[in-house]
Amino acid sequence: MQKAEVIRTRYRSLCIVRQAPPGIWMNDHMSPTKLGFGILWPACWTGLPIKLALAVLFLAFGIVDFESRIALAFLMLLASPVTVFALPTITMGLGSHIGEGAGIGLLFMLAIPVDIWALGLTGRTFFLERCRREPPARLGLTLWWKCALVGAIFLPILWVAERATTHVSVSAAHSIFEDGFLEGTPIAERISIELTLWGTVATVVLSCLFVIGLSLVGRMLRGTILSAPHAAENYEGLITRWDLMRVPADPGLMLTALSGVAVVLSLLFWFSLPVLTPHPHECCKKAEVRVAPEFKPFDTLNKDEKMISQLAARVEFLIEQQAAAQLEKQKSKKKGGADHEAVKEPDATEPVPAAVMAP
Amino acid sequence: MRDTPSAGPQPTVAEKVFAFVDERVGLKQLTAKMLNESVPGGSRWAYVFGSILLFIFGMQTVTGVLLMFYYVPTADHAYASTQYIIHDVDYGWFLLSYHFWGSSAMVVCVFAHMSQVFLWGAYKKPRELIWVVGLALFALVMGFGFTGYLLPWDQRAFWATTVGVEIMDKIPVIGDFLARFLKGGPIPGQMTLSRFFVIHVMVLPAALIGLAGLHLFLFRCAGPAGPFRGTPVELKAKTDYFFPRQIWKDVVGMAMVFACISALAFWEPVVLLDEATPDPGDYHPEPEWYFLFIFQHLRLRMFSGEFGQFLASMLLPGLLGVMLLLLPFFDRNPERNIFKRPLALIGWVVLTVSILLFTVSAIINRDFLD
Repeated sequence: MQKAEVIRTRYRSLCIVRQAPPGIWMNDHMSPTKLGFGILWPACWTGLPIKLALAVLFLAFGIVDFESRIALAFLMLLASPVTVFALPTITMGLGSHIGEGAGIGLLFMLAIPVDIWALGLTGRTFFLERCRREPPARLGLTLWWKCALVGAIFLPILWVAERATTHVSVSAAHSIFEDGFLEGTPIAERISIELTLWGTVATVVLSCLFVIGLSLVGRMLRGTILSAPHAAENYEGLITRWDLMRVPADPGLMLTALSGVAVVLSLLFWFSLPVLTPHPHECCKKAEVRVAPEFKPFDTLNKDEKMISQLAARVEFLIEQQAAAQLEKQKSKKKGGADHEAVKEPDATEPVPAAVMAP
Repeated sequence: MRDTPSAGPQPTVAEKVFAFVDERVGLKQLTAKMLNESVPGGSRWAYVFGSILLFIFGMQTVTGVLLMFYYVPTADHAYASTQYIIHDVDYGWFLLSYHFWGSSAMVVCVFAHMSQVFLWGAYKKPRELIWVVGLALFALVMGFGFTGYLLPWDQRAFWATTVGVEIMDKIPVIGDFLARFLKGGPIPGQMTLSRFFVIHVMVLPAALIGLAGLHLFLFRCAGPAGPFRGTPVELKAKTDYFFPRQIWKDVVGMAMVFACISALAFWEPVVLLDEATPDPGDYHPEPEWYFLFIFQHLRLRMFSGEFGQFLASMLLPGLLGVMLLLLPFFDRNPERNIFKRPLALIGWVVLTVSILLFTVSAIINRDFLD
């Protein structure tokens, strides 16, 4: 333990050159919007690399298909601390979806521990650096359930409001050109103006709703911040603590563990990656390959022998039949030709009696 | 009594090799110089774009070289060899799709990097030359996109190049020569493909490596600008060395970009249209997505006619380029805080929104035409 502390202190002295700033500023009067943004923004980006790695693996496994909504899926994954419980409501209750596949649910389930870790890390930084307060125990979990709760209630409302606003503004922009004095406007100009009109309205409404949402998150988190005790150290001490917090206790072990995880993820990725394209072009469809039956030399030899013996028996039978017929002919000639009855020639195509064909 | 030297631990093979190289090239000093650069105000995520661009370029080189093992740069075989890469080569579809989306990622990251430098006011004295070389690198990246788009030799490639060369034809004085040189004939054909291929795999990479080296050298000479807010004392309190924090952020940024490009390759792998012919048929010719905003301008009535087309395709973008080139030389105000530079902030917002608006308009227009 003591050794770890020594390593951390040495590492720290290698990394940073510092000097305490004059005076101390307090942030107890920070607006709820700033507060919500200050915690959520870094937390979302901190957890994203891990969530992205999982998403790519799931795409390679083929258990997720984002269809044409990959940008929306990316945003929902980025903001998973607030979207995690809102997504089922939006998907099932409001009939919208970000894609298909069992992997989506699994991805958001796995995002929960990642988000708790990310919120804990960024929350502790925020408490020390911005609020000058002692971060309470299990901060990540507390911040996560509060954010997820606000998201579960507010995001479906935001979704419905934004969808309705966009729908109304698109219709209004269309009607201006169809019914009004701008009827003869060329198509390129019309598209750009319509987009500007409804895009501005939709963006303004979305921005307002975002600010309201962040403010709600901030209000939920304010209680946790205010109940935390003030930190005793000066600015230098706080920055040192905040900075040490980000230094792993054993950097070598951390590096080895991360390298190991990277190797495992890379192997999983390459093993699950389809070898041939999942979307073949019309011109290059592969011809259906018929699998040739397995070659068994002894069976084939036996079969051929049987066939040869059958054919030999048939030839023998035909020769005998022909010889009998000739004998019959000669006998009738000897009788003096009185009998003019013609002897019927045996037909070579005549079916062979079953007894001859038998093995 | 004989003096015996103190028996320390024997150096490992790796240490011996390091010492051998260090003795000859000064590896320790070089490593210290590279890693111990101080970052004013500490490491930041906003600084990762430069490293990410280098990473994307590296990956484009690797995937490009692998694709070249199978690609045949002739008008007769380019399309078939690309289809072969997609359909028959093991993981070929992924390599090609990664290369395709990587080029788009490069354009996006160049824009993000330039925006960060502009908004941070990091182009100001003494970093003017870094900005100028950065602009040249931006032009090279666009050149990579333009020349690489033709190589699959399908209808999309053929017509995007035709539109691009026609736009280039409108450049005064050298436009006609450039267009004729690139096309190598009345319509894009074997000569066009050969020239685009050589420019794409030889000329541009060489130029980019040289200019990127110069960019980094100038950056090391001037040092990082640091954040635009905060007192000198606060900045000094948070100052870090480049290693390990900024490198860690860069590595995470690179991993995220790799994941994003891979996800895009899975989501929308490259699928070729029909082989290139001089008859567009049902296909509506248009350039790559990052030139779409200029293309949409050309559709507007106010830019119809010979002069209008020249204005929209050459004069306005050219003026913007010249303005960006001269920016550090006429903006001599040392203030770097973007919120105290309203003209710069408004200019950046207007430009970004316009590009976004006209790109989306072009996509809607395409759907309308289809």
